[in-house]
Amino acid sequence: MALPKRIIKETERLMAEPVQGISAIPHEENLRHFDVVIFGPSQSPYEGGVFKAELFLPEDYPMAPPKVRFLTKIYHPNIDRLGRICLDVLKSNWSPALQIRTILLSIQALLGAPNPDDPLANDVAQQWKEDQNKAIATAKEWTEKYAKP
Amino acid sequence: MKFGHVFKECLRNEGFPPEWVDSAISYSQLKKCINKLTSELAQVGLDPATLGKLLKHVEDYNASTDQNDDQDRPFEYILSGDDTPGLTKERKPFQPKLLFYVNEATGALHSAKLDAETKRKLQMLAVEMGMTDLRVFEEPDHDSLTSLDSNPDPTSPTNDLPHTNGPRKRPGYRTVEIPLTSDTEFFTKLSTELSGLEALQEKEKQKMHAEIDDLGKQMAKLTDPDRRANKKLLSVWRQIFQLYLEEGVFFGTTETDHTAHDADKAAKRFQEFCNKIAQAGLVDKFKKKENIQALNTFIHINQELLQGLRFGEINRTAMLKILKKFDKQTALGVKAAFPKRIEYPEFSEHLAKAVCAEVTTQVLSHVPQLDDYSCPMCMDLKWRPVRLSCGHVFCIRCLIVMQTNKQHNCPLCREKTVVDANSAENLDLELADFLKKWFPDEVKAKQKYNELMAGIDQYGEVYAEKCTVM
Repeated sequence: MALPKRIIKETERLMAEPVQGISAIPHEENLRHFDVVIFGPSQSPYEGGVFKAELFLPEDYPMAPPKVRFLTKIYHPNIDRLGRICLDVLKSNWSPALQIRTILLSIQALLGAPNPDDPLANDVAQQWKEDQNKAIATAKEWTEKYAKP
Repeated sequence: MKFGHVFKECLRNEGFPPEWVDSAISYSQLKKCINKLTSELAQVGLDPATLGKLLKHVEDYNASTDQNDDQDRPFEYILSGDDTPGLTKERKPFQPKLLFYVNEATGALHSAKLDAETKRKLQMLAVEMGMTDLRVFEEPDHDSLTSLDSNPDPTSPTNDLPHTNGPRKRPGYRTVEIPLTSDTEFFTKLSTELSGLEALQEKEKQKMHAEIDDLGKQMAKLTDPDRRANKKLLSVWRQIFQLYLEEGVFFGTTETDHTAHDADKAAKRFQEFCNKIAQAGLVDKFKKKENIQALNTFIHINQELLQGLRFGEINRTAMLKILKKFDKQTALGVKAAFPKRIEYPEFSEHLAKAVCAEVTTQVLSHVPQLDDYSCPMCMDLKWRPVRLSCGHVFCIRCLIVMQTNKQHNCPLCREKTVVDANSAENLDLELADFLKKWFPDEVKAKQKYNELMAGIDQYGEVYAEKCTVM
């Protein structure tokens, strides 16, 4: 089926006015598939890191949320080893009025505010609760190791 | 190239109205004033080098004590007499004063830290000129003088609070005022010119206000969808204004660019807008003269605004440059203090803001833009518009899909209102009429799409194929 007008409009706007610190570029052969790059927010352990992710718009988008997954390894209580993200707006709190840009902004904000009380990566969340300083140090280490261009 | 020359060239070559050029800051005359002042100062032995040393001394002292009690300050340059910041509108003539303090008994300068050379010079000045030649006076007692703003230190606030550092009583010291005339001339001239610029700006604003008002009325007529003749032109005007809004000529409207633009950037953006309407061949679609005229007026207003912006910018630069020159030549340190005393009329930005707002409300608003009436889900026109009980409006097609999916919450406020929207009462008839009137083509297209999708819902994908064959 042809690409819905909404996806075309969103893509155009993402290209014309990119969100600061985020880039999302559609695949040429599949315009529902985006290569995403999120820059680690300043004053977070991910600062200076460049995190790659993939975003896919399912057939029933925008009634269903986009699927997003980190490709770059990241040490974060709400992101697991496979890069899956635990974020309410990607699941139960999705609204068809949300967009690719707003979702990516939420993900960027999640990097700035890890939430170990609603963990996806249990080991990381536990570390975060027991010794936050150490967890932050590890997150910085991983950023150095895996998220440098 | 020297700035004076550049400034002159700008005024001459950029097509400003003669009246504007006459009101511009007279850079070269002000420069002459400075030269006169320098020679006046030199005559009394205060060459820039000496004054520089004095000023440095004061600054060092202030920095080291971090308080305003400048007992050791050997001299002061007072910009103006009795003004308070609230009165800047009615500018008082400037009466700058250069004061320094000498010991009454010895004639020694009130300062311990000056180097011998400077001290000697000032002492010579005081003694050689017999101290009586200079206006030597006992520090007056009355209160009016203690409220003088006499603070050459740019970091401390120049407000009307009681000053602790005005010319104060210093037992055993006299204040020596060095008689200068060129500086008064300089500041009087500069402030008069600034007032003139402000008046000019006000006048221009009135003029443009009238122009925009007229254009607004004409636009209302030209785009009135009830007139048959306008039918095709409405979408042309809409495209033109959409391009204009997207270009963000004077102000950015995106996340990364949301500030006012300077004249250069605004001019580039405006040129880009003109190129785009030319490329899209929109002008050719106007058959009638009145439409072309209106577009020309619109372009003209923008050009005037650009010119005003540019004029304001070069005059502001001229003011800053001349004050810098004043400081460099005389070392009296006014550059930091002067702009605080006299607010430079924000020609550029205020005018641009006011006029842009007017263009938006008076002209652009006559042609509603699609973006303001699109459904937040499909981003197409909200047709047919359905208003949920929470007040949010979406197109009927998206809400049908949501109901089929059992998604019951409003996409904008998450209220559980989607599920109840199933009566004719939810149709927003007023908005529907409005959309039909202003977006006839878009309504038709969306209506067709909605019908097609409803058919697919009912009969499956084959329905779409059948339609394309027909």
